Amino acid sequence: MTPVRWRWFVVLGAAVLLVALPAAVQHRPGGGPPTRPTADVLARIQASADVGWSGRAQSTGTLQLPSSDSFATLGTLLGEQVELRAWWRGEDSWRVDRVRSTGETDTFRDGRGQVRWVFESERATYSPVSTIRLPDAVDVLPPSLGRDLFQGAQVDEVAFLQGRRIAGVDAVGFVLRPSDPASTVGRVEAWFEPTTWLPLRVDLYGRGGTTPVLSTTLTELDLRPPAVSAVRFDPPASVALAYEESTDVAAAANGLELADLPSSVAGLPTRDGRDPGAVGVYGRGPTTMIVFPLRGSVARPLREQLERNAGTTQTSAGTLAPVGPISVLLTRLPGRGGGFLLAGTVTPETLTAAAAQLQERA
Amino acid sequence: MIGVELVKLVLRPRTWVVLGMLVALPTLVAVLLAVTDVAPGPGEGPPFLSAVLTDGTLFPLAALGVVLPLFLPIAVAVLGGDAVAGEVQSGTLRYLLVRPVGRLRLLVAKLVTVVVFVVLAVLVVAAVAAVEGRLLLGTAPATGTVSLSGSTLTPQQLAWRTALALAYMVVCMLGVAAVALFLSTLTSSSVGAALGTVGLLIASTVLLGLDAASALHPYLPTRYWLAFVDLFRDPILWDDVVRGLLVQLGYLVVFGLAAWANFSTSDVDG
Repeated sequence: MTPVRWRWFVVLGAAVLLVALPAAVQHRPGGGPPTRPTADVLARIQASADVGWSGRAQSTGTLQLPSSDSFATLGTLLGEQVELRAWWRGEDSWRVDRVRSTGETDTFRDGRGQVRWVFESERATYSPVSTIRLPDAVDVLPPSLGRDLFQGAQVDEVAFLQGRRIAGVDAVGFVLRPSDPASTVGRVEAWFEPTTWLPLRVDLYGRGGTTPVLSTTLTELDLRPPAVSAVRFDPPASVALAYEESTDVAAAANGLELADLPSSVAGLPTRDGRDPGAVGVYGRGPTTMIVFPLRGSVARPLREQLERNAGTTQTSAGTLAPVGPISVLLTRLPGRGGGFLLAGTVTPETLTAAAAQLQERA
Repeated sequence: MIGVELVKLVLRPRTWVVLGMLVALPTLVAVLLAVTDVAPGPGEGPPFLSAVLTDGTLFPLAALGVVLPLFLPIAVAVLGGDAVAGEVQSGTLRYLLVRPVGRLRLLVAKLVTVVVFVVLAVLVVAAVAAVEGRLLLGTAPATGTVSLSGSTLTPQQLAWRTALALAYMVVCMLGVAAVALFLSTLTSSSVGAALGTVGLLIASTVLLGLDAASALHPYLPTRYWLAFVDLFRDPILWDDVVRGLLVQLGYLVVFGLAAWANFSTSDVDG
């Protein structure tokens, strides 16, 4: 071998080794054993909310929701790639950081209150927790989203899926195909930690979709419960803690009690089985619809945004905009331009039927 | 050999012109922020820039965040690209190698010189920005600097995290230096080698914005450059910092070896 060649072989060898080694480690075969979904397993998935853990997650959404100040966070969560860091002690005690290269937005949940910290604006805001609110960063964590989508799942809707190695865990996979005709979700693929049944990765597909409209996966996982200090926010002395009555427009609407919604709409009962106030969350698992009243000042700009979307149509019920598997309908109430906002992973026909029922009731 | 190259680096007016240009942009940014009092919103602009109006002690990091994505790598590409090709162009390489100097030693000396320049550039930008931050922008709260996660950093914590961030930025430029040095051994044109290096960095940035190239992202040289921000979270997020170090070391090894393989056996015309 000439001196020229052996040196280049050294270069080639080093390059191949440095590229192949991490790739081999990342893609090494893995995955939990084939497991039959049973009612007990589905119950344990829901019970995994009590499992303490910490780690990192990455969520990628492809849904282009109408831009609106009131729903800005939602648009980011469902339409962009989001890096998350989380410490979870239980449903009432956790911390979720939305990490950016310019800073981070952190939410600290402590019992019945939560603090939101935004680094770039140096703003810390305390607000009471509302049972009714819009989806937030915590809801796209794989454990939260997995539990939400498998809530109310029937055993015959769930099938075994090939296991995968996720966040260093040989995970067990299930696919959920909702049987509700009202659902716009085609299937949910999810992988779970096999001892705690903590969801580690969730891929959500629309009907007939080949790529997930929302995919969220844990990239690192530590199954030791974090310390209390990890989820507690101590405001810096230079920052005054602000107070807000509600976390978002849905929580605000619920608090104001502008309307009294029925216990079921379009054949869908409330998700928690309770009688709703001004805001109702209906359906189960992947067939979910939220209904709440909007004041004219919020409804008008949102209606204008919806009207700019290509797929938007005006129906007798209101302004209807399908965004992937999410359907959005904004009705018009007599008066100053307010209306009911109905949105969820249900068909436009379901929303229209629900709107008609609400108009009749109004 | 290294001493000779370092003396050449210090005596060249070009070195000081490049350093001046690196300092000019953050200075302009500091003046504009001080005059207008308008900072970027959440998720916008370079790291830390939104916070410097209330805490000028963070301006060295913001200034480095301004120059890191483009200006600093271009400077490194120009110096690295000139390392061997410049000697060929000026006809001095033949005389350099006539002396009892091994080609590997010459390459190492050139690489060390570029790294010393990077250290110098990072320190100069940070020092000037520290003065500008103190004079033009907000003073740090008496209780300490606020971390990205809302906790309070003592001056000591801020100092050692800043030192780590500066060291990380130097390491981030190692890969650029190695690529430029390799291209410098391939061509007799300094400009060509520098442009080739900048082209690779632009390609890396473009691919980072492309979801279809996600499998390549962990290997791209610019992927983890801004991970120094993670040193100011609480607790520190080490993962991307460590990955960034490994990626840069990988580029250093592969392109350093390639430079050695090519330069050891190539004909010397200059």
